Amino acid sequence: MIKPLLIISFFSFLLVPLVDSAEGGPCKDYGNCDQFKPDLNNMASLQRGVGTFMKYCYSCHSLKYSRWGRVANDLQIPEDIFFEYLVPDKDAGPYDLMVAPIHELEIDNAPPDLTLVARKRTSSWVYTYLRAFYDDSSTTYGSNNLVYPGVNMPNILAPIQGNQKLGCKEVPVLAKNGGEKRDEFGNTITKEKCGYLKHQDGSGLLNVEEFDEFIYDLTNFLTYVGEPSRAERERMGVYAIIFFIIFTFLSALLYREYQKDYH
Amino acid sequence: MVTKVLNWINYRLPIVNTFERHLSKHPVPKKVNFWYLFGALASIVLILQIVTGIWLMMPYSNTEEGAFASIEYIMRDVDYGWIIRYMHTTGASMFFAIVYLHMFRGLLYGSYKKPKELVWIFGATIYLVMMAEGFLGYVLPYGQMSYWGAQVIISLFGAIPYIGESLEVWVRGDYYISGITISRFFALHVVALPLILIALVFLHLVALHEVGAGNPEGVDIEEFVDEDGVPLDSVPFFPYKVLSAMPAIGVFGLVFCIIMFFFPEGGGYFLELANFEEANPLVTPEHIAPVWYYAPYYTMLRAVPDPLGGLIVMAAAVAIIFIVPWLDRSNVASIRYKGILSKIAIVMFVVSFITLGYLGTVTVTETGKIMSIICTVMYFAFFLLMPIYTSIEKTYEVPERL
Repeated sequence: MIKPLLIISFFSFLLVPLVDSAEGGPCKDYGNCDQFKPDLNNMASLQRGVGTFMKYCYSCHSLKYSRWGRVANDLQIPEDIFFEYLVPDKDAGPYDLMVAPIHELEIDNAPPDLTLVARKRTSSWVYTYLRAFYDDSSTTYGSNNLVYPGVNMPNILAPIQGNQKLGCKEVPVLAKNGGEKRDEFGNTITKEKCGYLKHQDGSGLLNVEEFDEFIYDLTNFLTYVGEPSRAERERMGVYAIIFFIIFTFLSALLYREYQKDYH
Repeated sequence: MVTKVLNWINYRLPIVNTFERHLSKHPVPKKVNFWYLFGALASIVLILQIVTGIWLMMPYSNTEEGAFASIEYIMRDVDYGWIIRYMHTTGASMFFAIVYLHMFRGLLYGSYKKPKELVWIFGATIYLVMMAEGFLGYVLPYGQMSYWGAQVIISLFGAIPYIGESLEVWVRGDYYISGITISRFFALHVVALPLILIALVFLHLVALHEVGAGNPEGVDIEEFVDEDGVPLDSVPFFPYKVLSAMPAIGVFGLVFCIIMFFFPEGGGYFLELANFEEANPLVTPEHIAPVWYYAPYYTMLRAVPDPLGGLIVMAAAVAIIFIVPWLDRSNVASIRYKGILSKIAIVMFVVSFITLGYLGTVTVTETGKIMSIICTVMYFAFFLLMPIYTSIEKTYEVPERL
């Protein structure tokens, strides 16, 4: 009688969320972040990502815990090509840290280091954030971000993405039972809801799908640089798990054999 | 030749006797269940923590400027540094998980009943030292959560009247958390507390081997012994108990590897995401949450509006564990033969402890606040009412043999 009760009681905490109201989504005004699934074995994606990072981000953001040589090596870029085309500092060597020139000056409120941004905020956050900029003439840089309202950063990728504005759209009104409300003719009743991102087609270098892919590669690279050993970790993990499955199986057989002695 | 050397040593140092008494021939109950495996697993994790800790210590820098960067150095530049660090962080969480299950086994089957009171007290002390050890280790990476977590915990000392403030400064070694704090926490984490921990584990085991291990039936196996004084319902530790622990070690290794290789952050519960940012005394994180293993006590602290009151409740919640041997007045040890009241009580206890743990990791809401008060009361009721419900309930007859 006690056993099932005890097992149930171990999961009692699951009842708590039912009585607590949910908080706002992790991506602030955007709601829930768009899910990002990294592909750390896709070298082409990571190579495009590091290219984008060096071209657009590195002038303000460092990767100060990471070293040039490690990145070149992990991303399978030959060192001579890597240093010639990607590293702006011609004195930098493979063992130097990827510190942006701006961080060598001691200035207050310097743009944050991005080595661990994907670990701290999650990759999904980074992926959503980079796509959630919109025009906002009320801010210093003329742009704002739904994921990070009031962010103090210009929309550096605007020429590539094109114009994005906040717009409104018609959304169905939900009835109390969770279904859509309908009028007497069976048409869905809608109301106007604002705060959605609206992209102006053809205003950027890339279209929406291409831009999503572009950001995917960049986020993939930031995920990699947050934990460069992750791909190796997941590879090794498979062998460790296979080892322990075999170990458990064999030791269980041995245990059964010896148990016969005293039963 | 080997025998000769062994005899020479054994004449001067009783290694053979000690080995036989505590390991090879040590009699253990022949019938126990899976709850009795967590002690062995805990000792394995302890060894793992010590070994990985030594290796982490080599590249770690115990300075304010260098601590955070040295962790990233371990994760990136030290060969297989990441695996050593993840073993240590996963090990810390697993150590607590195992110890919680081990302690719960004690509550279920009365592993504190006469004459095992000292075994229980040494165990409870190990748990207390582990909590301190875990906290100190958590500060060392010097991330945002390390800093602000330490801030919250150290400020608890400040709630003590009269001496509080000076005590706070004394613990920190400074007026705010600084390099001094890190280096003293480092010294305590890697030298002082591990030494105490090992000594306590030694005492825990010596005391246990003196009075003999328990079993889920609560049967005293010493009652029926053969002509050599060996209990009839026992088997020698080697090979039988070692072999029964092997599959458990395998399953544990499997769980450990799944976490370590695929979910080292444990969804933010084992490694908190905010700790991937270097400590910044000027920016308070949005949501300060303790690691999961302290969460129940953190909820109790928050359930009481007054800081001193909260501190007392929290300290009492740990302290009350020590006196369990004298709270339980039942004439049987195991929950199997206890009455319905004990069974209800233990279910209520699990519900309250787990709910408290859950509440400690989320932001405070109104319902959460009320629930944390209810659960704190339930937690204490389990212990404080124990003398009553264990003495009035009708217990069942315990069999003579296992």
